[in-house]
Amino acid sequence: MAFNYDKYLRTNKMPTLWCWGCGDGVILKAFIRAIDKLGWDKDDICVVSGIGCSGRFSSYVDFNTVHTTHGRTIAFATGIKLANPDKHVICVAGDGDGLAIGGNHTIHGCRRNIDMTLILINNFIYGLTNSQTSPTTPQGFWTVSQKVGNIDPTFDGCKLAEAAGASFVARELVAAPKKLEKVLVQAMEHKGFSYVEVLSNCHINLGRKNKMQSAMANLDWIDSISMSKKKWDNLPEEEKKNYLPTGILKQDTEAPEYCDMYKEVQKAQQGERGKLTQDDFAKKI
Amino acid sequence: MAVMTAPENTPVWVDTSRCKACDICVDACPAGVLSMQPEPTSVLGAMISVIAPESCIGCNECELSCPDFAIFVADKKEFKFAKLTKDAKARQEAIVKNGYKLPADYKEAN
Repeated sequence: MAFNYDKYLRTNKMPTLWCWGCGDGVILKAFIRAIDKLGWDKDDICVVSGIGCSGRFSSYVDFNTVHTTHGRTIAFATGIKLANPDKHVICVAGDGDGLAIGGNHTIHGCRRNIDMTLILINNFIYGLTNSQTSPTTPQGFWTVSQKVGNIDPTFDGCKLAEAAGASFVARELVAAPKKLEKVLVQAMEHKGFSYVEVLSNCHINLGRKNKMQSAMANLDWIDSISMSKKKWDNLPEEEKKNYLPTGILKQDTEAPEYCDMYKEVQKAQQGERGKLTQDDFAKKI
Repeated sequence: MAVMTAPENTPVWVDTSRCKACDICVDACPAGVLSMQPEPTSVLGAMISVIAPESCIGCNECELSCPDFAIFVADKKEFKFAKLTKDAKARQEAIVKNGYKLPADYKEAN
């Protein structure tokens, strides 16, 4: 008996609309295995996605799903979580969706430390609309909007999430599906905002014009620009900027969670407790 | 609906209605079990096929890296998997070198 993915899929939508070899499918598989490992009920999970190739993610899984407007994944998910604090909310966004158009929502989701998981699929390009420069496109790459080579400096989503206050930050690769599954389990178990960036391949819209025609070539390139956090820590300071560290980058179990704090507000409004004061917060400003 | 229980004496099987012929599983296999075959009805003109089921070591790499839910590996209880041999490694190298297809004139070493 092989692992039964169909149990969690809307099989009438198969095969997927993604291109051949797309990393999104591997992430979807790892996500399904992680959910199976956690043993959560299908009705207790809500998957929210935005626009882009990653937006299709919510269409294929047989959970409660919302396919929202461009970049507003976290905004919709925050509402869902506040209304249903006992359910598990998982957001899926691409690098353009979550870091460019929805960048502001991502920052404030992280800041509130609300209990949800954001799977940010970073394929270094706007893939769905045929290769425009995204915030993570490396400098010197060919894109439709910058045909002589991209001049925009790149942007590290994990550093942003860490600085904004997410309590769980990790980065993983599509080429290591077992590790990805493990990290997703930890991220979903974590109480607080979990930010998981997955480096994915887009050999069709990024690779074809940048000497990586096949999925394997694109995955090899991703492998060459990333390394495990342990190795990365031992690098000399000037070389660190050339590589992206992978693995769990931050895990803070102490940080107060937003839904818990909101419950206190509800109590105060109903007269069950006094007003919230600065002393109620452990975190010092 | 894909077949989840292993057909008898089969370590690895494929749902051809889902496969998009991306070559990833052929690249991931360490033992040369899989290869692409010409298939005129497929979009990319090729389809995955299991050419050497007896060499399968049950590592699950093809299933884990397939983005399209198209390939399945039997459970360790259902099938007695082989050990990785030099012949299998050599066949895998030949397949990858030949654009993920088994060379027509390929002969096993022994």
